[in-house]
Amino acid sequence: MTVRIRIQQQDFDLAEEYQLLRQTDSAVGAVVTFSGLVRDFEVSAEGHDSLANSIDSLSLQHYPGLTESLLQKIVEQANARWNLIATTVIHRVGDLAPREQIVLVGVASQHRADAFEAAQFLMDYLKTQATFWKSVRRNGEQRWIESKASDQHAARRWERSADE
Amino acid sequence: MINLLFFGRLGDFAKDVPSTIEASTPAEIRELLAAEFPELGRELHQPQVLVSVNKMIVDWDQPLFDGSEVAFLPPVTGG
Repeated sequence: MTVRIRIQQQDFDLAEEYQLLRQTDSAVGAVVTFSGLVRDFEVSAEGHDSLANSIDSLSLQHYPGLTESLLQKIVEQANARWNLIATTVIHRVGDLAPREQIVLVGVASQHRADAFEAAQFLMDYLKTQATFWKSVRRNGEQRWIESKASDQHAARRWERSADE
Repeated sequence: MINLLFFGRLGDFAKDVPSTIEASTPAEIRELLAAEFPELGRELHQPQVLVSVNKMIVDWDQPLFDGSEVAFLPPVTGG
């Protein structure tokens, strides 16, 4: 499997990454990409949109060295569960403005089910296991974002399906 | 000497913590810090907080050696 893992401050080009996945191998029959963007509001840890507050900017911290190796492990787990030809994970760090791209997960496989499921798995595990921490700036005040129970729940469904 | 790192919200509670300490396990570091910085101690005792040594996530009783880098990791919020 071809693996591309990047943690970077600069933006990424979705079209370029798609072409790289597409051109990996003549066996590629499906490419799924997911890109996550900075929302211009912050939802409370309980997930109530009604409590959402608009934000000025978002900042992402990571632990160089550890974060890359955790992403590598997550990709290896996906590769063990599905038939994958190529995987790309790009995560941005530093200061980001609303509507900017934060994260890209792309998967190429022979058949669509592998690409769809692996892309979801990668995002669910990235959100709960990869060492990134978000803070938001609002009216000049910085605040750390709390982890969401819904993200933990989303990741746990893959443990259940692994037992079946 | 053990080098200390605090990520995410833990950094806010660790502003006055020295960057190095003498200890034989991460659990011992946590106790030493809790004695001097009670607020940070409460945060470090949260069950979701993980610890790494030399960029590997480990148990709290992992033996430490001179020059080890110990990082305290609150629940992650990337993606």
